[in-house]
Amino acid sequence: MKSHTLLALTASAMALPGIASLAKADAAPTESTLSYRASTYQEDDLPAIHRLAGSVERYDIDVHQLRLLMPVGETYSLTVNSSYESMSGASPWYAVRRIDGSPGIVMSGATISEQRRDLNVSGRKYLTNGAVGINLAVSHENDYDSISGGFDGERHFNDNLTTLAAGLSYSSDEIDPSDPELFNRVTDETKHSESVFMSVSQILNQTSVIQTGLNITHLSGYLSDPYKLNDKRPDSRTQTSWTTSWRKYITRADAALHADYRYFHDSFGINSHTIDLNWYQNIGANFQLIPGVRYYSQTEADFFTPTLNFTGTLPFQSTDYRLSAYGAVSGSLKLQWQIHDFTLSLAAERYHSNADYAFSDGPQSPALVSFNRYSFGLDFQF
Amino acid sequence: MKPNSIIRLMMVSVIATVAASISACTPVAAWERGTLARPEMALDADPLETTLNNHIYFSKEASSGGNSASGGGCGCN
Repeated sequence: MKSHTLLALTASAMALPGIASLAKADAAPTESTLSYRASTYQEDDLPAIHRLAGSVERYDIDVHQLRLLMPVGETYSLTVNSSYESMSGASPWYAVRRIDGSPGIVMSGATISEQRRDLNVSGRKYLTNGAVGINLAVSHENDYDSISGGFDGERHFNDNLTTLAAGLSYSSDEIDPSDPELFNRVTDETKHSESVFMSVSQILNQTSVIQTGLNITHLSGYLSDPYKLNDKRPDSRTQTSWTTSWRKYITRADAALHADYRYFHDSFGINSHTIDLNWYQNIGANFQLIPGVRYYSQTEADFFTPTLNFTGTLPFQSTDYRLSAYGAVSGSLKLQWQIHDFTLSLAAERYHSNADYAFSDGPQSPALVSFNRYSFGLDFQF
Repeated sequence: MKPNSIIRLMMVSVIATVAASISACTPVAAWERGTLARPEMALDADPLETTLNNHIYFSKEASSGGNSASGGGCGCN
């Protein structure tokens, strides 16, 4: 492997909050990296047996991402992320109880077509025994605008074997649904969020590192889905997630194991567990094969209902399948090929959700989504 | 074996492995950290893919959040 590649690899590791300077003292990246990703994913059609009306063809989504990481002087770095996302297809509008008692899904028409653009700029200053960073981001859709900002810092202790990190962020969102008069939707609603995280990273030995952290986010404002019929949710939501990540290099196999776990709880009454395992297998000097599996399970929100209640007696209700009790399993495979200063990558993922995969029993939705994702990536170091 | 049993077994395995690693925590000198600096050992080995995955899962699931402050929202959830 080329000598400058090792420098880049080190710089890459250094640039990551948490692990930054776990391996050695903090330093700004010495090379710039320009990265591009093109991804497409198609949601499976809604099974016809569950459809009451509308199109069964769900979203097809294309995403283009661009990222530039560059050193600025000797102690600063700048990162610019931008993405463009286009989607078309139908989504569940509401669910009603059919004569046989089962829920029937009313889908939107298949004519929905949306685009989203976002820009995220962050700067980082590297200190003798830590780093501080600031971040600003905007996201624009024809019916949704978001602006957010935050800052974070990290400090190394214990001969750089231990890193404490913490950060704060704030976002302000504006929601202006299309066709409000035609469908009796809200107009000009707002949503705000404040988020805080703290984490500790620890080098365990020459081949393994662990990080564990807590993230608390409070959302307030209009939290319902304006495109779902009679969707009424509380106007505040507090989310707590605890995440633990472990990295282990297996010398004999020339591979690294990534194991991640997240426990999530929120004031809607949802609890979830996420396990993510990835195996980074080096093949020779220039290839890497990365198979992965992910499991997700959540309980239902307190106000989730499989079918709409039209009596008006419920203060909150939603038939959104994302608030039901279910589980999801996904498998992925990624191939990376390094050619001089370029790295090519190809990735595919199959995500399948099912109420029977859930840890616990609870109200189910037949509108759960499954999808296939394919990605192409190119990275250039200079 | 039922899916739930498999998942519980996976969780116990992960926790047991991590616990074993912690118990084996040893001092590592600066010059012994070359392996830890390898790209495949980064906590986030591919920031763009992580961003995309977080966005997709955020739009399909009720959970979000990790070891960073949350960014801005989108109309997808």
